[in-house]
Amino acid sequence: MIEVKNVTKKYGNFTAVNNISFTVNDGEVVGLLGPNGAGKSTTMNMITSFIEQTEGTIEINGYDTIKKTKQAKKQIGYMPENVPLYPELTVKEFVTYMAELKLVARAKRKENVQEVLKETGLEEVQNKIIKNLSRGYKQRVSMAGALVGNPEVLILDEPTVGLDPKQIIEIRSLIKNLGKKHTVIVSSHILSEISQVCERVIILNKGKIVAIDTPANLEEKTKEQNILYLTVEDPEEKMSSVQSKIKDIKEISMVKDNEDGTKQYKVISEAQKDVRKNLFEVLPKEGITIFELKKAEASLEDAFIKLVETTEEKQESKKQKEDKNKQESKDEKKEKKQKEKANKQEEKEQKKKEKEENKDKGGKK
Amino acid sequence: MWAIIKKEFKSYFLSPIGYVVVGILLLVSSIFFYLTSVQTMSVDLSSLYYYMALYGLIIVAPILTMRMFAEERKTGTEQLLLTSPISITKIVFGKLIGALGVIIITLLISFGYYAIVSFFAKTSIIPVLTSMLGFILISTAAISVGMLASSITENQIISAVITIAFLLMSLFLENISTIFTKLSIINFYNKFPSGIVSLTEVAGLVSFSFVFIALTILVMNRRRVSH
Repeated sequence: MIEVKNVTKKYGNFTAVNNISFTVNDGEVVGLLGPNGAGKSTTMNMITSFIEQTEGTIEINGYDTIKKTKQAKKQIGYMPENVPLYPELTVKEFVTYMAELKLVARAKRKENVQEVLKETGLEEVQNKIIKNLSRGYKQRVSMAGALVGNPEVLILDEPTVGLDPKQIIEIRSLIKNLGKKHTVIVSSHILSEISQVCERVIILNKGKIVAIDTPANLEEKTKEQNILYLTVEDPEEKMSSVQSKIKDIKEISMVKDNEDGTKQYKVISEAQKDVRKNLFEVLPKEGITIFELKKAEASLEDAFIKLVETTEEKQESKKQKEDKNKQESKDEKKEKKQKEKANKQEEKEQKKKEKEENKDKGGKK
Repeated sequence: MWAIIKKEFKSYFLSPIGYVVVGILLLVSSIFFYLTSVQTMSVDLSSLYYYMALYGLIIVAPILTMRMFAEERKTGTEQLLLTSPISITKIVFGKLIGALGVIIITLLISFGYYAIVSFFAKTSIIPVLTSMLGFILISTAAISVGMLASSITENQIISAVITIAFLLMSLFLENISTIFTKLSIINFYNKFPSGIVSLTEVAGLVSFSFVFIALTILVMNRRRVSH
């Protein structure tokens, strides 16, 4: 179990991670999602005690990362971003070295290394020098380094970057399998990956948590409208009149003319309303033949972009307000100063007058 | 810690660095073996080790240490090391001992000079052994300087330049003022070659190394917070 409580990381004046809190339960696969520079890697570096947080606490299976660093580190297998490896070592040497660093008992070491090599599909290349391996294999070696020693918690920082589609699928299924035995945090900016692998998603933006939810819920929450793609044969050009016959349709627009007599349309309705049934009833009556009807899945991508954009808008509007306030207060200050000046001048003038009057009086005396 | 020592030592000889270091040291010692023993028909090997410490280490210490932390930081493998349950103190000592391993290999080979000399005349092995002990201590001091340099940068060349600059300058600075005498490690290597293990010299080299090792550990620990 990983417990992150009110964690903040500051570099000078720059706040990389701003007061985030979340928990990851045992045996859960959680995705850490966010655009570049959102604070994903920083968060992971803090969980693995590579760097220390400025504020807040992190506990790994009950061990505080600052007070009980060694115990906390023992719980974790970490695959850093950009797969750092020792290129001069062979695969087996590297994994063995990682096992030694993780204090795996000597008696179990060999067995454990072979297990991990098998699990990551590296048995055949175990005696090759890492320098000569392809990117995909290097990634697996890095993964093997994280897995060795059977850590309860796995932290994988962008494990699929730079892989070809087949390798991505392999790594993904590997992560899924790992989720059965380990607690896993995966970071990525590829959303489809997260939605396939993770049970929960934490979306970060500009160092703040934007949302924590299941992928399905996130999609649901951010879906505003239902989109259908409809391919029809419409000899009498009646498609445009359909909209008036089905109330729930908000918009019908042509996407493309297939030039074989069929045309593709995009039908938009409100999120809660499904017009597919209505379409099947109405269109044949109009003499329109349906060739294809498919629902456009609202993707996690949409959810992500929307969440990120809305937070950015909020932050911007906040900033603008603050700027306005600042300006207003500045203006007020200026006015005050001017008033004060004016008052002073008045006072001076009054004093002068008084003096003159006094002089006059004195002269009269 | 054993794992790090083993890996560091192995890495030196998986790359050319280990061979280059042993080669340079043997070249320097061979030149002075010729100049101080062969040419003068002397059985005294003490100056051989003295000159190896004086000239050899200035070249070799930066080569041995420049990649220690700088390379790990640049390639990111530092993350693997620092997120493992092994403490920073152990990592630093592991790397130091790994580098000393290369020096020890050279010293073992240098027994060859003793073998050659003792073939022609009867000579005592004690000065050779104390010279070697002293050489290990003075190498530790030079390596800890390089280690600190390597821990503060991710550029290996900068690390090497800092180390050379420090070792070279410390030789000249004592001419400016005697305050700097203790900065120059070669001043702690006067009695070892004549077969005497002086407590002052041992304590001097050990405390010199200790300061730089402690600073390296401090720098590495500090990086966790300010990184």
